[in-house]
Amino acid sequence: MAQVLMKDLNKKYDEVHAVKDVNLHIRDKEFVVLVGPSGCGKSTTLRMVAGLEEITAGEIAIGDRVVNDLPPKDRDIAMVFQNYALYPHMTVYDNMAFGLKMRKFAKAEIQKRVGEAAEILGIHDLLKRKPRQLSGGQRQRVAVGRAIVRHPQVFLFDEPLSNLDAKLRVQMRVELKRLHERLETTAIYVTHDQVEAMTLGDRVVVMKDGWIQQVGEPLELYTKPTNRFVAGFIGSPAMNFVDVAIQGSDGSLSAQGTGIRLAIPPANAARLGPYKGQRVTLGIRPEDLHIAAGADQAPYVFDAVVDVVEPLGSEILLDVKAGPNSLVARVEPTVRLKVHDGVRLAVNPERLHFFDSTNEKAI
Amino acid sequence: MVAAYLLLAPAILLLVTVLAYPVGWEAWISLTDLSPLNDRGATFVGLQNYLRFATDAAFWQAAVVTVGFAALTTLAKLVLGIAFALLLARPFRGRALVFLAVFLPWAYPASVSVMGWYWTLSPPIPTAYAPFMGHLKVSVDHAVGTGAWSFLAVTLFNVWRGSSFIGVLLLAGINAVPPELFECALLDCRSAWRRFWLVTVPLLRPFLALAVFLSLTTAFADLANVWLLTAGRVVFPVIGTQAYWLAIKAGQFGAASALSLMLVPFLLGVLLLLFKVFDPPDEARA
Repeated sequence: MAQVLMKDLNKKYDEVHAVKDVNLHIRDKEFVVLVGPSGCGKSTTLRMVAGLEEITAGEIAIGDRVVNDLPPKDRDIAMVFQNYALYPHMTVYDNMAFGLKMRKFAKAEIQKRVGEAAEILGIHDLLKRKPRQLSGGQRQRVAVGRAIVRHPQVFLFDEPLSNLDAKLRVQMRVELKRLHERLETTAIYVTHDQVEAMTLGDRVVVMKDGWIQQVGEPLELYTKPTNRFVAGFIGSPAMNFVDVAIQGSDGSLSAQGTGIRLAIPPANAARLGPYKGQRVTLGIRPEDLHIAAGADQAPYVFDAVVDVVEPLGSEILLDVKAGPNSLVARVEPTVRLKVHDGVRLAVNPERLHFFDSTNEKAI
Repeated sequence: MVAAYLLLAPAILLLVTVLAYPVGWEAWISLTDLSPLNDRGATFVGLQNYLRFATDAAFWQAAVVTVGFAALTTLAKLVLGIAFALLLARPFRGRALVFLAVFLPWAYPASVSVMGWYWTLSPPIPTAYAPFMGHLKVSVDHAVGTGAWSFLAVTLFNVWRGSSFIGVLLLAGINAVPPELFECALLDCRSAWRRFWLVTVPLLRPFLALAVFLSLTTAFADLANVWLLTAGRVVFPVIGTQAYWLAIKAGQFGAASALSLMLVPFLLGVLLLLFKVFDPPDEARA
């Protein structure tokens, strides 16, 4: 068990600057998820921790050792790959034992550790099989088992669930979470799936274009995104963005967009004051929109037209148009609306987000 | 049902005309004394053509030389081919050029390159290095035995051309393996030598089996290159040249057919053995 420190970490390929000035302190026993769209540098960062990519500049420390110049084998990490990376010519047992054999563990110890891991993962009956004879989920378990037996200081996961079908992915996600609570080993987990990131991570690191955008606990990212990218990336369906102008006098500011006009709640007024007369981006999450009722105050209500209705059973997603703006609202399953119906929507005034139009930072 | 056979007919026709008929005819000839030297036509002689080789010293010499030649060239080609493949598997500056250099011996027409080798090893008289090569040839033949220089020439050419092919074949094999498997090995094992034997070689097994088999068959069936490199003076016979001598020079069609047909069960056995060792069939999938 150990902490992992990344200091001013950079990776440059010939033309591409893949990872830019990454600073991250992963605490002992913490489960940290790196998330972002493809090409954001998350996998490269993980591979630098593993030692599979050279570090262009900066420093990585595992525990209290700087590992920049240590070969992968001596870093005391274990990695789970997206395509499982099981050796097809070895049985499940031999696959799991390989790392221990290479480190010259005694046979009895290897047997004990593989047995324990197989027990935890429920793959005892598969030990004599070859990877080809396993289903995707079983292979994934074996790949995790191979990492567990090593008792490493840090687990590295590189999109381990991406090759599984949706149902199995949810199931394995829960298992991984349970496993981490049981083993209490520091883990770094890379995924492009924000749901995986939110459910698994003690903390989540959102990356884009090689930069860290925000580091925080899942709910913190959701409620207080530091910029427009994080706001749009975390949460599903994604946050609605509307281009608005800040108008009015201090004390009664309003956000005026085409086909939509909302009052700015007093809590936001002070920060938005300096933006008076300028354009900003208003962010509203689909779940912070609802069908207007008597209790909703008029300044927080606007009219829209239904464009698409997506009934999901537990809820309905309404795609609406307010002027030229397309928005998604998550409403009660009891709502009965058809395409082209007019609808009056209300926002939750405490949950409005505003972003600077030029640097996209949260206001 | 009829339609199915009709659809199969072109393929069957092709196989019969280019494979079944010639091989069947050769099998029949091998049981006769057919020869352009006798006027009475062919007489059935049973297995006599096969049995006569048991006591034929020239046959045994050719057999030993062929097996030695095949084993030696295959080993050399495998080692060089693996080295080429491993070298080219990872990116480096100028890889395209190196790839071209490795692939050229195989891509270049054999008939041209074999003449190049012939003139290099047995240069025409007016060239400056002809005396030197002549001395070398004589001293090699003197030290090892007559025919050693020719053997060396044929071996060098076969290895030169074949390692190029095997290199490219194994490179395709390495590229077909997900890179994570090699990376995963890197996480567990520092020694490149051990990783090579424990991971790379087993993963390449089907490709190695194919490489060994193709190498053996080209070595066994090598007639043209042996003939050209030794200018028809086959001072050491291999099975291929021996059969050619028997048929074309001595007019013994029956014996020559028997000789070349004997290679078939032998190579078939080698093929089965190779795939059993290198590429064992997997147990049923899940």
